[in-house]
Amino acid sequence: MPTKPLSIRYEDDLRLLSSRWRQAGVVLLVLFALLFPLRASSLWLTLGSEILVFVVGGVGLMILTGFTGQISLGHAAFIGIGGYTAAILGGTYGVPFWVIVPVAGVLSAAVGLAVGPFALRLKGLYLAIVTLGLVFLVAHVLRSFPELTGGLSGISVPMLWWFDGPTVSTAQFELLGTPLSSAIQKYYIFLVLAVIAVLFATNLRRSHTGRSMAAVRDRDVAAAVMGVDVARTKYVAFGVSSFLAGVAGAMFGWEAQFLTIDATVNLLVSIEYIAIIVIGGIGTVVGAVLGAIAFVVLGQLADAFLGELPLLSELSSAQRRNTFQAILVAVFLIVEPFGLFGIWMRIKFYFMAWPFRY
Amino acid sequence: MQTFLQLFFSGLALGSIYALVALGFVVIYRASQVFNFAHGEFVMLGAFLMISLVRGGMWWIVALGVTMAVTGGVGMGIERVVLRPMIGRPVFVTVIVTIFVGALMRVAINVIWGVGERGMPTPWDTTSVMEILGARVLYNSVAAILATGLVLVGFYLLFQRSRIGIGMRATASDQEVALGLGIPVGRVFAFSWFLAGSLAALAGVFLGMFPRIVDGNIWLIALAAFPAVLIGGLESPLGAVIGGLALGVVQLLAQGYVNPLLGAFGNNFHQVFPYVIMIGFLMFRPYGLFGTREVERI
Repeated sequence: MPTKPLSIRYEDDLRLLSSRWRQAGVVLLVLFALLFPLRASSLWLTLGSEILVFVVGGVGLMILTGFTGQISLGHAAFIGIGGYTAAILGGTYGVPFWVIVPVAGVLSAAVGLAVGPFALRLKGLYLAIVTLGLVFLVAHVLRSFPELTGGLSGISVPMLWWFDGPTVSTAQFELLGTPLSSAIQKYYIFLVLAVIAVLFATNLRRSHTGRSMAAVRDRDVAAAVMGVDVARTKYVAFGVSSFLAGVAGAMFGWEAQFLTIDATVNLLVSIEYIAIIVIGGIGTVVGAVLGAIAFVVLGQLADAFLGELPLLSELSSAQRRNTFQAILVAVFLIVEPFGLFGIWMRIKFYFMAWPFRY
Repeated sequence: MQTFLQLFFSGLALGSIYALVALGFVVIYRASQVFNFAHGEFVMLGAFLMISLVRGGMWWIVALGVTMAVTGGVGMGIERVVLRPMIGRPVFVTVIVTIFVGALMRVAINVIWGVGERGMPTPWDTTSVMEILGARVLYNSVAAILATGLVLVGFYLLFQRSRIGIGMRATASDQEVALGLGIPVGRVFAFSWFLAGSLAALAGVFLGMFPRIVDGNIWLIALAAFPAVLIGGLESPLGAVIGGLALGVVQLLAQGYVNPLLGAFGNNFHQVFPYVIMIGFLMFRPYGLFGTREVERI
């Protein structure tokens, strides 16, 4: 088992993937992600797309909560803004998706920056509840313009491809003998967005801003004394996080194809994202990815198997998922605070030190 | 004037329910620095349990006592099993844990009772009204206000005079010193959660009468009470009571007077109005009315 390679030069420190094992792992992961939709059933293809949506949104929340330590219960508000931007621009004005992605992000980031001043004055619980208030406010605003947002009856979210194309792409591509359906094309687009988000967050963490974020998270007063611009760092965190959440919202809309205010801009959605980063491991980008995968896959399995149990079969499938999610998060927080990432690190250290115990 | 009084009394009744809920938050927060997001589920449990007990033939007042005791017991159990191991962990972690404990409780309540709407039984005729200064006020509202007043007096005496109350205050001011002085901090935690649970159950019972319906969404009252807690100040019982009463009155007055001004935007605006006020208020007083201002050191 190779140990961690020695960093001799500055370039070694700068490398994104420091060891051959990591490089191999990432290559395998990317290959898997690329080939997965060609063989997957339509259910698993949908789950794959869902995972990618949660990866983008989870990375967004991870930057805010995991890196910068600002508790936010308002993620659903930004998801909602992104989703409704996609719905209104795509449905009413026929704007193609690649224009919507940045627009949804920027709109959502603008609202996120508006929360900034509060983040400067409030901490912890107070901030969490102000962001919760944001969820209610956004839901109220969306509800107040039914002619634009469809009100309580919801709105459909078409994903338009290019300027000429209707909802479903007519262009026929083929990959390794499998024709690419629109669902597969959507998966690939989501994959690209998710990879960009992950790379961005990884690099952000290693940058000056990322280190400022960690300093603010660990002790903001100490960070300020050392010359970290706390205000700027918090603004950047909120802006970037809500940008990604807006993009994730647009993706969520395209995935669900139909949005209702009550189901989208909802405390429970915020909580889902918190569950993802907690399960994956707070403070790491890998955590957001692992968390999203575990959340969707385990949720699906739970839905399938818990239904067999006597009492739980009376619940709706959403309730079963919530129950399972709740138990999972509670267990993780009590037993393994660093989440799946923590478990992975422990396994890794065990083998690195093998045959010694430490 | 009559409309105003009518709204005012209704608001006061709603506000006293908010006050009970907010007081529960504060009691728990002072004791164990946990902001209990599962509080709404205590309210829900109280309401559903009460209905079952009264329908099962128990006297109303006895059922109320049993409901409060059982809900308090559940609170105590949750503290002992879930939150005691989390002592010393960041506030964030306990917040998340209580959110998910709440989700589990909600599912459990759904499984046991179902989510259908039902009315809260009352010992008096639920539709009877009395006239106060020309305003017609429901007996239910009067009962809610009176019961809350009684509870607050009892709470004050408990807090100022009784042994356990003094222990609670000591624990709130400094946990380690309290422990060193021989105050049973564990028992203080348990008692605080019991108290908060039973206050929530009481709130649930009256909330079930006031808008006259108990259903699967009754737990949302806790989210609606957040502005009261934060404006009052997280550590202050007095602040919670004032904040709660003010919240109820402001909400109903907003429903009566502000909503119509806003046109289409005003539909149900009173539900988010307290949040708007809270957000504005916190900009000027980040620790609420009576909260303690933290002095930060490195």
